Amino acid sequence: MRIVVCIKQVPATDDAKIDPVTKRIVREGMKAVLNPFDLYAVEEGVRLKEEFGGTVVAVTMGPPSAEKALRECLSLGCDEAYLLSDRAYGGSDTWATSYALAKGIAKIGDADLVICGKQAVDGDTAQVGPGIAAHLDWQQCTYVSKVLSFDCNELVAERMNEAGSDRVALTLPAVLTVVKDINQPRVPSLRSVLASLEAEIPVWKPADIGADVDKIGLNPSPTRVVKTAPPPPRSGETLHISGDAAQAAAALAAKLTQLGFTEGK
Amino acid sequence: MQGQAGKRTFEVEIIPPKHASDKIPADLQLFADKYKRVMDSGFTVCITDNAMGLLAFQGHECIEYLGLPVKPEQLSIHLNTFHSKADLVKLLDDCNAMGVRNFLIISGDGSDRLPKLQPHEVEAEGTASVTSVELLAWIKKHYPQFKLGVAFNPYEPPEDEFEKMERKIAAGASFIVTQPIIEKNAIVDELLEKYPDVPVIIEAWMSKKLHLLSDAVGYTIPEDTPFDPLTTLEQLLEIYPQCGFYLSILGFKTQYGRVEELAGITKGGDAQ
Repeated sequence: MRIVVCIKQVPATDDAKIDPVTKRIVREGMKAVLNPFDLYAVEEGVRLKEEFGGTVVAVTMGPPSAEKALRECLSLGCDEAYLLSDRAYGGSDTWATSYALAKGIAKIGDADLVICGKQAVDGDTAQVGPGIAAHLDWQQCTYVSKVLSFDCNELVAERMNEAGSDRVALTLPAVLTVVKDINQPRVPSLRSVLASLEAEIPVWKPADIGADVDKIGLNPSPTRVVKTAPPPPRSGETLHISGDAAQAAAALAAKLTQLGFTEGK
Repeated sequence: MQGQAGKRTFEVEIIPPKHASDKIPADLQLFADKYKRVMDSGFTVCITDNAMGLLAFQGHECIEYLGLPVKPEQLSIHLNTFHSKADLVKLLDDCNAMGVRNFLIISGDGSDRLPKLQPHEVEAEGTASVTSVELLAWIKKHYPQFKLGVAFNPYEPPEDEFEKMERKIAAGASFIVTQPIIEKNAIVDELLEKYPDVPVIIEAWMSKKLHLLSDAVGYTIPEDTPFDPLTTLEQLLEIYPQCGFYLSILGFKTQYGRVEELAGITKGGDAQ
């Protein structure tokens, strides 16, 4: 069983900056972390490996500094890691990125399952996982909150929807995107982190994975970021309630009723 | 943990390397240097547990990896409620095997990255979340060989804090470490009167940046507030001669030598 986990290094949410001209994230000099949702993808891959055997491979596309996020995956239990890094990949949108990752997954070979976080917290598109499935022509299931069964031919998963959940059976190989409810990511040990620092992480350029350079990078990407703007400031007011606990609770209850959040007595 | 009779001794806080560090090997070396220096002074090394909710390596795994000596009476490890049950058990078992005996049990600061112990995992009935009280009671039951301490916050409403302390003592706490104080504190005095048989260790703030204490004390301390930590420590030592002292954010280059002098230690490491 071979599981590939696709991850992304993203700006730490307290450190993100947007280039006013290109409307893209300024990655130079920023604090970068492993996309929080991808931690759950890695954990699920490692848990499935621990239960059913096999290997877990982490892969990402990004600048050379993204290697750090891959080392974190290794510290968490992944067996191998690959970095797709080259100027030619720069500016790729979700479609071009998922194409490159699909080519990388094909190069890794013999994957039974691909797991992604449900979305990256920088772009928030949730498109790369489904895009990989489309490029590979594999079945996919998004927003997975539980893997119910897993064998060589089929995986049964529970996926979240607006009304509750669906139970979905997929023929392998397949692609999953996972939500935070699926597990609790482990905390790596000192020894596993130190071992990850010594690991070799191959860097693959487009030619290494057989990627068509006319399908990656900024120009071939069908998406154009026309405009970005900060969200409008939140409206609201702060209400300080004085008095002892009983008085304050009564005043709070009355205010919530007045605002329509409760029906009152 | 109180050191030899008749001498002042200190509990010195050391923060293990953080997972996010870009220089973990260098951070480990610094950790080892500080650890050995505190041990050599005869003081107690106190190692934090994911302080401020920031993911850091566990003290015991750093000690084990670095091959540092474990002197049970000179080592205290913080343990909070933000662990998985499996990690908690492994940590306690590993510490037990290494000879660690002293733990400071605190509720701790969480983060999205840290799991939180659930009540059923520590056999806690009738509570929605695990606090230091439930964690301490569970450890006391399953690891009776450990000596467990708890925190005391003189800046919380006294009625609540003393009620909580009653529960902590009832659960098995055998020493108390206060939040930092910088002068004689009436609530700490009350604590000392209330628990004359329980060792109380007073935390002394060793940073010149007193305003960093704003969150702990619950009001804003202006950034330009002048503060001399060493002079304050000397005053506290006189005010509370019966207490041990916990030193956080201690400057090893600028302050440690003076702290050794206050303990009556000469440069060679011997007590006078």
